[in-house]
Parts: sequence; C-alpha cells; structure tokens
Amino acid sequence: MATYTGLDRPKSKLYYQFWSVVFVLGLCGSMALLYFATKKVEYTWRWNRVPQYFLYEEKVSIRAEMEGTIAAIEPTGEASEGNVRVSIKGDDGEESHVLPKSSLLLSSGDYVYAGDNIGFYTHWKPGILVEGLWLTLEVSALAIIFGIILGLFTGLARISDNPALRWSAITYIELIRGSPLLVQIFLWYFVVGTVINSILARADIGQVPPMWFGVMALAIFTGAYTAEIVRAGIQSVHRGQMEAARSLGMTYNKAMRKVILPQAFRRILPPLAGQFISLVKDSSLLGVISIRELTKASREVVSSSLQPFEIWIVCAILYLVLTFTLSMFVQYLERKAI
Amino acid sequence: MHTPPIIDVQSIDKFFYTPERLQALNRVSCSVAPGEVVVIIGPSGSGKSTFLRCLNRLEYADSGHIIIDGVDILDPKCDINAIRAEVGMVFQSFNLFPHKTVLDNLTMAQMTVRGRSRHEAEAKGMALLEKVGIAEKFAVKPDQLSGGQQQRVAIARSLAMDPKIMLFDEPTSALDPEMVGEVLDVMKNLAREGMTMVVVTHEMGFAREVADRVLFMDKGEILEQGVPEHFFTAPTHERTKEFLGQIL
Repeated sequence: MATYTGLDRPKSKLYYQFWSVVFVLGLCGSMALLYFATKKVEYTWRWNRVPQYFLYEEKVSIRAEMEGTIAAIEPTGEASEGNVRVSIKGDDGEESHVLPKSSLLLSSGDYVYAGDNIGFYTHWKPGILVEGLWLTLEVSALAIIFGIILGLFTGLARISDNPALRWSAITYIELIRGSPLLVQIFLWYFVVGTVINSILARADIGQVPPMWFGVMALAIFTGAYTAEIVRAGIQSVHRGQMEAARSLGMTYNKAMRKVILPQAFRRILPPLAGQFISLVKDSSLLGVISIRELTKASREVVSSSLQPFEIWIVCAILYLVLTFTLSMFVQYLERKAI
Repeated sequence: MHTPPIIDVQSIDKFFYTPERLQALNRVSCSVAPGEVVVIIGPSGSGKSTFLRCLNRLEYADSGHIIIDGVDILDPKCDINAIRAEVGMVFQSFNLFPHKTVLDNLTMAQMTVRGRSRHEAEAKGMALLEKVGIAEKFAVKPDQLSGGQQQRVAIARSLAMDPKIMLFDEPTSALDPEMVGEVLDVMKNLAREGMTMVVVTHEMGFAREVADRVLFMDKGEILEQGVPEHFFTAPTHERTKEFLGQIL
C-alpha cells in the first residue's frame, strides 16, 4: 500500500491478501520442488553432519615423555572436577600429567615407554566454517576501512584543480575498473607479492602473509569505485553551499570538511553500502591465493564431507548473514544522519 | 567628504566561455564610500550579479583592480579568506547549511574563521537571531523555516562575522511576495545602522527608500548612476528610460 501513488484505482484489501498468499505459496513451492528434485537424484541430506564444521570437540592424547613406572595416581584439586595427576618415575627423573580420570588408560604400577598413550582430554574448537567466516569478516573489514580512506582521497583528487592529482586519480580509477578483480588478485599475489617477499627474504626480514595481498587487492579495487561514488556525492551538493562557506572566509579544506562532505556523506551512504556488500562477496575470490576464507573453507569441507548441497547452502546463508547485517547497519546510519 | 572608498573597482573585465566568448563585464569602474548603500539594477544578463560576485572574488575578474578596504583582491598574493571574512554575502537561494541547526549555521564560521569560542559565538549568534526576529527558531534545521525566515538567518549568518561590507545578490527574488517585506525590513535597519551595502535587486521601492546611489547596468557596463530621486524621475540614458518604463 506504501507504493500506491494515486494514479490508479485504489486496490481492495482482498487484492493484497490474495497476492501475499500467492507469494508465500510460490516460495514454499519452489523449496519443495528443490527438495523433491534432490530426492529424485537420490541425494541423502545429512544436516546433522553440518554443526561439526562450526564447533567440534577435539581429542588431545597425552603421552609419556620418558620411560618409567607409574608411581602414583592421585586426584587433583576438587574431587568434583574428576582430574587426576599421574606421576611417572623413571631412571632419568620424574614427570607428571594432569588428565580427566575417565580417560585414564593405565593404572598404578604400569610400566610405560616414551610415547605411550596415558589418556586424553577434550576441548571445544571452532570449526573450519567459523574460521573461514571470521577470516572473510576480517579481510572485508580491513578492505572496507582502507577502501574508504583511499576512495575519499581519490574522490577529492578527482575533482581537484591540480592536473597531477586529477590525472593520477583518473588513471587509477580507469586502470582498476578496467580489469577483472580475479586478475588483480593474481597480480597482487604473484607479481607484487613475489617481488616484495623476495626483497624481504634477501634483507632477512619476515614475509608478508598472503592475507595482506588479498586485503590490498580488495581495498584498491573498492577504492576506485568508492572514489567515483564520493566524487558524485560531492558534486551533487549544490554549488551555492561551497560559495556560501567560502564567502564567509572559510578555506577550501574547511568548507569541504565542515559543509560539503557531511552533506555528501548522507547521500552516498546507499551506493556505498552496495559497494561494500559487493566487496564482502568479492572476498570469496581470495581462495585462489590460498587465503582460507569462507568459500575456500566450504570447498575444503565439501571435498572431505561429500555433502556439497548442505555445505554450499550453509555457505550462501553465511554470506547472506554478513551482507544483511552490513545493510542493516548502513540503514541505521542513514536514519541517524537525517 | 573625502574619506577613502572602502570598495574601489578600477576598470574590470570579465569573460565567460560558455563555450563561446561572452563579455560579462566591460571596463567597469565604481567606488563605494564607507556607510554608503549602493543599489544595482538592470535587466537580466546585464552583469550585475557577476559584478557583485567579483567583489568577493566568487568570480575572478580577468583584468583591472578591485581594492577592498585597501587590499587589491585580484593580487594573487592577497589573503582572500581574510578579505571574505570582512565582506558578507547574501545569496538569492539563501544557501544555508541544511545539515546544521540555525544557531550552528551562525556559529560555524565564527569559530573556524574568527577563532571565537563556542560560548562567545553562540552569544553573538543568539543576539543576531534576536535582531532579525527569529531567536525562537535557533534549534531547528533550516528546511523547517519559511523562505523569508531562511533569508533572515542567512543575513544573520553573514553579520555574525562582523563584516565591514555586505553584498546582497537579489535577496528577495526567490521569496513568496508576502515574505519580501520582512527581509527588506532587516536590510533597511542594517542600512540605517551605517553598514556599507551593495545590493542587486529588483525591488525599486527599496532602492528609492534606502539607496544612497543607484547604478543601472546593461550589457556589462554601468550606463547610468545617481541618487534615487534623480535616477527614477529624470533618467538621462535611453536604455535606462526604457528599462524603468518596463518595470515601473
């Protein structure tokens, strides 16, 4: 009803109810269709296998470090914890391990060799999908921050009177927009990365991990698009605003900072949000330079679990969660800015 | 009688390339004494707004000299921002800062250019809002004000800088007829207080009542000037007679 412009005859309430039901039925219908189609090809859904890729319990074995006899097994701390201290006495000295009583494989007086399993303990670890999601988040956040800074200054340079600044900005923007992101990622990793890391190796300084080349590729890619958005935003602010600010004696920089950019920022939020949502999705390409972000992590899980349907659906949903959160955050900013 | 002029324009030219070459100002010379109110009238496209905008270098005149309070603003070495702080300007389209409240509109330049404290700037701002009669609206955003109120805020914004000269570029042209009066009243008060004013306007009543001198511009030249009584009753130039005949 919000879109009713008054140009047509008002629609009845029944009209909206009917077509809402059609929408919901269509949605459920297509999902059911997908389900039955997968049944047809005899795909076995095993959703219960998915959670382990988010969080799993790792078993860590405890092994004797030297040869000797188990001298004592005594409870440690509070009895409720159920932990015991196992002391081994050998020719070279003594050692002790703390482990849960339930996992104990040996008893007092047993003779152990170095490397023998005494028992194990378990702890919860984030699964590979969570690690991938986290890396995607980290890479995207860094790229967004660098992208905003780069885009802002490039956008300002793009409208500068100084030809060196302006042409640099144009060259940068056209260069970046004119080649595929995948190729740029390869360039960053295999060309720039090789050069930098070779020089660093020769100087005997540590190496730059691939993640940073990924972040650079994404930030520089996004920066070019952001620059055009920033430029359009600045140019959309009425000329009179700059004239008014300058006529009061403000310098160009002050007028830009206090008058033009705050107004431009509000207008460029929606296209900026679109750009950053694109960036989050584009980070899925970084798998090609061995950054284990969400998509690469999913690919690994698929090849080990052989459950491609579930994993790729989950992967898509995780991206959706990221982008939707970002989109909501920007909408919140927009409302706050007005 | 011979105080040095506060504005001394010596034979300026201004060309626009749109892209064909167009001479907007042709050897225009004019001087304004401190406290004088000069009204510029003329048909549209006559160069009156361009002339006014040259006075604070919103347009850069191509040749000649413009001496404002002893400083040639066409000299590239002059500190134009310092000059502009002394020359207030009121625009046809108000150009208030829409993202700031009315009071912030008045305090921003005071604090960033004059280096006043927030407290001092707000006191000055409130006093000026009082003076133009909209003190009760200090906390609202400009888009909630009527055109006449916005223009009065814009005048107060310029006055907050304590300028020596005020330039008005058709300040009432974008207003609904019933709001013209309130803006003209503010301007009349300002003139009475001895502010040096250069006003481009189509309000002949204002020119007649307030102006010390009326300039008539056409095709980039000042064709005729004189005190209002003389100017409106006995114009000498053919073009002036024609123009006055059309509008009066």
